[in-house]
Formats: sequence, C-alpha cells, structure tokens
Amino acid sequence: MEYDVIVIGAGNAGLVSALTLQKKGKKVLILEKSKMAGGVSSSFKRGIFEFDISLSKLTNYGNEENKGEIFHLFDRLGISSKITMKELEHSFHIIDKEKKESYTFPVGIDNFIEQMEAYVPNSKVSMITFFGLAEEIRDAFNYYNEQQVKNTEDLYLKFPNFVQLAPCKTKEVLKKIGMPEKAIELLVATSLPEKNEDENFVSFALHLENSIKFPSVIPTLTSHEISSVLEKEFLNMGGKINYFKEVEEIEVENKMVKKVKTKDKSYLCNHVIANISPITVYCNLIKKEEVPKEAFGLQNSRDLGAKCITVYLGLNKSPKEIGLTKYQYIILNSLQSEKEFKKMNQIKNGNLYATIRNNGVEVSSREGTTEITLTSYFYGRDFEKEVNSSNYYEKKQEFAEFLIESFEASTNTSIKEYIEEIEIATPVTFNRYTSHPFGVVKGFNEKGYDNFLSRYFTEEKETFIKGLSFCGGFGSRASGYENTYLNGEEVANKVYEECMEK
Amino acid sequence: MKDIIIEKNPKKAKAKFDDLFLAREQIIKSASKDAKLHDSIKNLTNTLHPKNIEVEVTKIVEETKNVKSFYLKRKEGETLPNFEAGSYITLEIKINDRIYKRPYSISSNPKNTQEYRITIKKVPDGLVSTHVYDNCKVGDVFTISGPLGNFHYNKIRDEKDVIFLCGGTGITPILPMIYELLENQKVNSILLYYGNQKKEDILWETNLEELQTKYSNFKVKFLLTEEEIENYIYGNITEEILKKENLNGKSFFVCGPLEMYKSLNEIFKKLDIPNKYIRHEIYKEELENLLRIEHKLTIKKENQTYTISCYENETLLTSMENNHINPKAHCTVGECGFCRSKLLSGEIKTEISSLRKKDIEMKYIHPCVTYPLSDVSIELP
Ligand SMILES: Cc1cc2nc3c(=O)[nH]c(=O)nc-3n(C[C@H](O)[C@H](O)[C@H](O)COP(=O)(O)OP(=O)(O)OC[C@H]3O[C@@H](n4cnc5c(N)ncnc54)[C@H](O)[C@@H]3O)c2cc1C
Ligand code: FES
Repeated sequence: MEYDVIVIGAGNAGLVSALTLQKKGKKVLILEKSKMAGGVSSSFKRGIFEFDISLSKLTNYGNEENKGEIFHLFDRLGISSKITMKELEHSFHIIDKEKKESYTFPVGIDNFIEQMEAYVPNSKVSMITFFGLAEEIRDAFNYYNEQQVKNTEDLYLKFPNFVQLAPCKTKEVLKKIGMPEKAIELLVATSLPEKNEDENFVSFALHLENSIKFPSVIPTLTSHEISSVLEKEFLNMGGKINYFKEVEEIEVENKMVKKVKTKDKSYLCNHVIANISPITVYCNLIKKEEVPKEAFGLQNSRDLGAKCITVYLGLNKSPKEIGLTKYQYIILNSLQSEKEFKKMNQIKNGNLYATIRNNGVEVSSREGTTEITLTSYFYGRDFEKEVNSSNYYEKKQEFAEFLIESFEASTNTSIKEYIEEIEIATPVTFNRYTSHPFGVVKGFNEKGYDNFLSRYFTEEKETFIKGLSFCGGFGSRASGYENTYLNGEEVANKVYEECMEK
Repeated sequence: MKDIIIEKNPKKAKAKFDDLFLAREQIIKSASKDAKLHDSIKNLTNTLHPKNIEVEVTKIVEETKNVKSFYLKRKEGETLPNFEAGSYITLEIKINDRIYKRPYSISSNPKNTQEYRITIKKVPDGLVSTHVYDNCKVGDVFTISGPLGNFHYNKIRDEKDVIFLCGGTGITPILPMIYELLENQKVNSILLYYGNQKKEDILWETNLEELQTKYSNFKVKFLLTEEEIENYIYGNITEEILKKENLNGKSFFVCGPLEMYKSLNEIFKKLDIPNKYIRHEIYKEELENLLRIEHKLTIKKENQTYTISCYENETLLTSMENNHINPKAHCTVGECGFCRSKLLSGEIKTEISSLRKKDIEMKYIHPCVTYPLSDVSIELP
C-alpha cells in the first residue's frame, strides 16, 4: 500500500493530523479539492489589502514564558519558531448597545477576577470558584484522555465536581455557585455571538479559562502563515499533498475502509481521516449499503452549528483617525443572554464580532489604512428562505449594510465613507469553498447529549466503519482554531495506534 | 478546590453522568435514518457558482470590423447563473489539440439569464481571439467557467454618481453595469466617456444613445482618436476634459487598453482623487523590451516532471498551454490566484501585487504573469 493514511481535506485539523502522523513515520497523503492548503484558515487579497478569512484570535497560545496548549502543540510539530505571532493586549472587550456601556477585560486569571470585581462588586468569590472548577474539569479531561477511563465510579472518586457538572448547562452552574447575575451575563457575553443557550458548562469553562489564562495571538501574516508553515513542514517530512483532488468515494467493504477514489484515481488505503463533515461522508461518499443505520441516525439527530455573514472592509483611514482603539469588539444588543440567544435565529440579529486587524498587527495594511472584519452568526433556515439565486447579490449587500451600520452605531464611529475595498461572505460562500453542509462554519452545535464530552466518551462506540475517523470543526472538540488544531493531533494519535495494532 | 453540590446524592450524580451517554444512544436510535442530504444551500451554491458550464453558441453578431459577439446558451437548456454586472467568464477552447483559457467579460444585461453574450475583438496575432473570430460557428459547444471577477459597482462602497471611462472593447463589462444601475435606479447619475479610434469602431452606439434618451440621468460622450466628427470629442480622455465635470464624490470605473490606464492614473494623481473612488478592471502589465530568448522550463505536477521550452517574452502559462500542459487558470492576468504555483529555481520577472505576503516570502508565483529570465523550475499544485 502506497500510503498508510489518507487525509481528506487540508484544513487546520487535517494538516495537523497529517503532520503528526508523518512525523511518527507513517506515510500520509492529503487529498484537497481546492488549490491550496488551509481551508478557511487562509487569506485573500483585494486591492492593497489582505484579509484573514476566518481567524479573529488564536486562543490558548500564550508566549514563550507562559505557553498555552497550542504553543505546546506547535512545539511538538516543530513549527512554533517558524511563525511570527503577535500577542493581543486584552482578553475581551464587550459593548452593550442598549445600556451604551463597554467592558474591557485583561489577560490573566487574577487580573480578570479583579476587573470583574470592579465591574460587579461581590463577584470575586464566585469567580474564584469558577476558575477552580475549570481547573478540575481540565484535570479530569486530561486524566480521561491519558488513562482512557471509561469508569464513572473512578472518575467520581477523583473528580466529583466534574461528574456533577458534566450534564449541566452553563448558566445553571454559574447561578449555583452564587455568581451575581451581572457577572454571569458578562461571562456568557464573551462567546455569546457564536453560542446557543444549550451550551454545556464543561466546554464553556474550559474554553473561557484558556482564553483568559494565556494571551491570545494572531499570526503577523494572517492565518495563511500558519497553514503555509504546516504544509511546508509536512512536505519536508516527506508527506504528500495533491491539490484539485476532490474525493468522490470512500470504498468500504465489510465495514472497513478499502479505497479512496477521486475522479481520475483510486488509492488503496485502510485508514482515512476525514477533515470534512461526517454528513457529507456518510451521505455522499460511501455506498449507502455499507453505512450502518446508526450512522445516519447520529447525523440526523444533531444540530448544525452557526452560519455567518462576514464583511471584510479595507478602509483608507487609520484606526486612530476613525477612533478605534481595540483589537476586537464583541458587540451585543444587550447583556440579557436569554433574549439574545433567541434572536440568533434571525440573520440580522445585531450581535457581532468586529476585528480591527491593524490594532493587533500594526503593519497589517499600509499606513493610514485599516482592515476590519465584521462577523455575525445565526442559526436556522432563514437564509435559505429569504435568499434565492436572483436576489442573492442584493441580499448580500443588505446584510452587509446592516452589519456596518450596527458597528458604526455601537462604536460611535463612522466607517462607511472610508471603504476602499469590500467583500461579503455568506453561507453560500463558505459552502462553495469548504463544501460544508449548509455553509455552516461552526460544525455541530454543542448541546446536551452532543456536547464535546459525550462525543469523546462515545467516540469508540460510534466508529461505524473501521479505519474511518473524523477530525476538524465537525469533530469531537467542535469548531474553532484551538479546538481543531488539538483535535487534529488527538485523532492522529488514535489512528497511529490503530495502524500499529496490525 | 471546595466541592460544589449540584447533586447531593452520589448515586444520582453518577447516574446522571451516565445518562448523558445513554441519552445519546437513545436519541440516535430514534432519529431518522434518512440517508440523503437535503442541502438547500448547496443547491444555491451550485446554481450561482457552477465550476464549469457547457454552452452552445446560438447566435453570432458582427458588431464592428474586427469585433464579434457570441450568444451562449446552456446546453441542457437551463438558465445560466445570475451574475453581478462586470463579471467575466473563462472560455476554454481546444486549438490544435491544446487547451487554452481566456477571460471574456459578459457584455449582456445581467437580468437575462437565458443567455450570455461575450464580445471578442480579433487581436493581431492573438491565438484564441483569432481562432474564435475566424472559426466559431453557431452550434459550436464550449466549456466556460461560472461568472468571476471583482469589477462591480458596490452600493455600500461606491458613490451615487458614477463616471465610466472606457476604450474599445473595454465597454464590455461596463454596458451590463449601465443597464443594471439605470434599470434598478441604483444611482443618481451616470456619465460614460467611451473612446475609440474611428466612429465605425464604436460598439453599441445606438443602444447607448437609446439609453440616453430613455434615462435623463445617463449621458454618453464618445471620443475618437483618428477621426474628427462633429459632436464627437477628438482625442483621448484628458485632464481638461475631466476637469469640466464636478469630480467630487464620484466613483470612476475604468476599462480599456493599457495606455488608457496609464494616462488616466496620471490624471487621477494630478487631480488628487483617492484610490477609493477608482475601480479598474484587471489587465496585464506589458513587459517592455523582452526578447524571444529561449530557456528551459521544468514543471513538477503530482508525480510527473515535464521539461519544455519557454521564452522571455511569453508567460509561463502560455508556454505550458502551448506544450499540452493544462494548468488551472481563470483570469490570466495575475488576479484570481487560480494558477498559483511554486517557484523552485530560476530567475523570473513577475507581478506580485496580488500575491499574499507569506506567498511572496515562500516564492509562490502566478505563472500567467511570470516571464522567465533563465531556466526555470516550478511546481504546480
Ligand atoms: C477580465 C478580462 C476580461 C476581458 N474581456 C474581454 C472582452 O470582453 N472582449 C475581448 O475581446 N477581450 C477581453 N479580454 C481579453 C481576452 O481575454 C484575451 O486576452 C484576448 O482575446 C487575446 O487573447 P488571444 O489568445 O487572442 O491572444 P494571446 O495569444 O493571448 O495574446 C496575443 C498578444 O496580444 C496581446 N493582447 C492580449 N489581449 C489584448 C487586448 N485585449 N488588446 C490588445 N492586445 C492584447 C497580448 O499581450 C499578446 O501580446 C479580457 C481580459 C480580461 C483579463
Ligand atoms: S490565472 Fe488568475 S492569477 Fe493566474
């Protein structure tokens, strides 16, 4: 067999898993349908501007003195010294439009708690409890990962809090630990524009802690820098990537992977890692007879994650001239999360993330200019209902205009008159470039029985076809740069074990 | 860490934890086993952005002495994708068993998705244009790309008063914009300066005049460089001509031959018009004084290596096309990035303005705008 493992898709997780396996001595081939590596972890040019397609910030990275998990991962992959990262100053900057108030949080847990106490007196004790729980969850999770315990008894003995918290929703726990309402809303606000009310406490706490404990970073030359370095390292290690190769079939026999087929070629292989959605794989790539019914049951039972509209703007004024001082603005109609979660079913919901790239990397674009990205997430089927092929280009403009105006109103700035370049991405755009079902950018929703814990604990049981694994935004850790990089390595390690079993 | 109590009873706590996974099993069991993906967004994507379209030439119109329009309909009889006015398609054509790709603007009204019209000028020594102009007949079948490009009016970015400046076949992407802006009342006023050598070279003169009569906010001014005729401006577009208009708060759209871009850029600079107000259709920088000096071009593609001849006055893309290597390409002028390849060795002359910063560092090139200055070796994706 020419290759030990074939990875479908060169996205974040695909690249990391391919590189991990190649470094361990496996022969890996990546088949990528588009012309280059990275998936949405890439950039594009318009005029003098180069826009990052999707990265707002890389959390859990840190720096040389205070390394987060991603820094450690990049060390293991041998690429951390090959990327120039810029540290971001704050962990969060939140704007409450209704009350016309804003909140800026620093990096570091102690600083964060102190700042929260300043905004919300008497929140300190509960904040300390919160971070304590987050630590225990991390320990439990690592313990699970290392020991592969499947035994609830054992887990409960060591991590009783963890076992109790696992089935709980975020707000339920925050209330229980006596956190003042305002502090709860502020904590939830940090990820509100992309989350839903069903979010599980365990994943909430883990992610929030990671993004506070370690400074977040952005690569100087956009996320394309990371993808390029990953790709190069993989090739240097002897890996192979074929571009313009869309996988059309995974041939399965007796519930085992046998071959991977593109339009013009067929590759014998027993291990496939799909960096694409399992929905696509089961429905479109494998003969129906070979897919167990449960596989379809699982996919049909899940909720697809958020879709988004993203507006990329190149302005012919500097951030300073416009009056923008922060790197990222989390803009919310209000801090009433319940109400805002409900609103996320509308495309024009008013909650958004704004990223001012030059406030992270000053030289990101020419002096006297600014690169801004505005992203608004939404759930549901409104887009398909409202948009058709004849009104598509009009609707795009309408959604973008709404986002720009929301941004202007909430930051008290005016940017429209300085727009030199504009590009608008919709679910159609993301579907076109990633092929993800419905153009979602957030994998599957994390909720109740489908939070990342349940996914982890059931991974083995839900391996329906031997030799077929999934990684990436639709994988166990759900979407996001941090998650998909880590997930790429985990899946690679698992596949490595499988390869060695024979 | 002090313990928190959510579930006092350890037995119940553990049971709830286990339930998380049991519930999952139950839900999977009772969920629909439908094996079909009903992806309505994918349908929309496929409609708007098909990778390739088979089209049939249904009508050919001789517009001027060396310009013909070709009307293209989908072979399967379906409608063509909606497009933003200003878009181009890439025409793929086989000549002497070699495949060539060239971009052509869609010159028809964007509201008509039954057919596209492309309008091709026979370029002296131009391989594809000459071939199509001389040989293409009604009933011929081509493969074209879906609509592409970034030369569009954007109502968020652009002003409500628009000045179009174009020359010769440069009118092709502009005409659909004029239709669209006028018919949908998107702007307050449109002024078109359209330059040609002689009156007989003007494309769609009567159409433009009819539009002027129908829409009071549309004005067209024709310029001729080789003929003096009453009511036609004699010469090129100059600073003096433009200065007669109030240029403040106007958006300019430019499409025409290279000399026109060059002279207009000078004028815009002199008049202090910020880049934000100026949109260009893409074009190829002409590299002067390049001689037909032969070099070797080595191409790595998947597991194969090819070595062919290339010339200092010919792009690497053209050399490859001439040698049966069929690299991906759309715009052929260094903008779309579709031909992005890695330079492995050799000296080149190229245009880097559309390359990503990291790509410049890592020696990526766009072969469509790269000329060899020595033996060159590249890797195709
Ligand atoms: C976005 C875009 C849209 C375009 N739309 C149109 C259109 O609507 N109608 C149209 O006729 N052409 C259009 N073109 C030009 C067209 O794609 C081809 O370049 C042209 O037809 C020549 O191709 P060829 O194979 O005949 O010549 P080639 O063999 O490729 O080139 C022959 C020589 O002619 C020069 N040359 C190439 N194009 C031109 C030109 N337009 N005028 C003068 N010299 C040229 C080349 O530099 C070269 O030296 C467009 C180009 C772009 C980038
Ligand atoms: S074909 Fe568009 S950049 Fe070369």
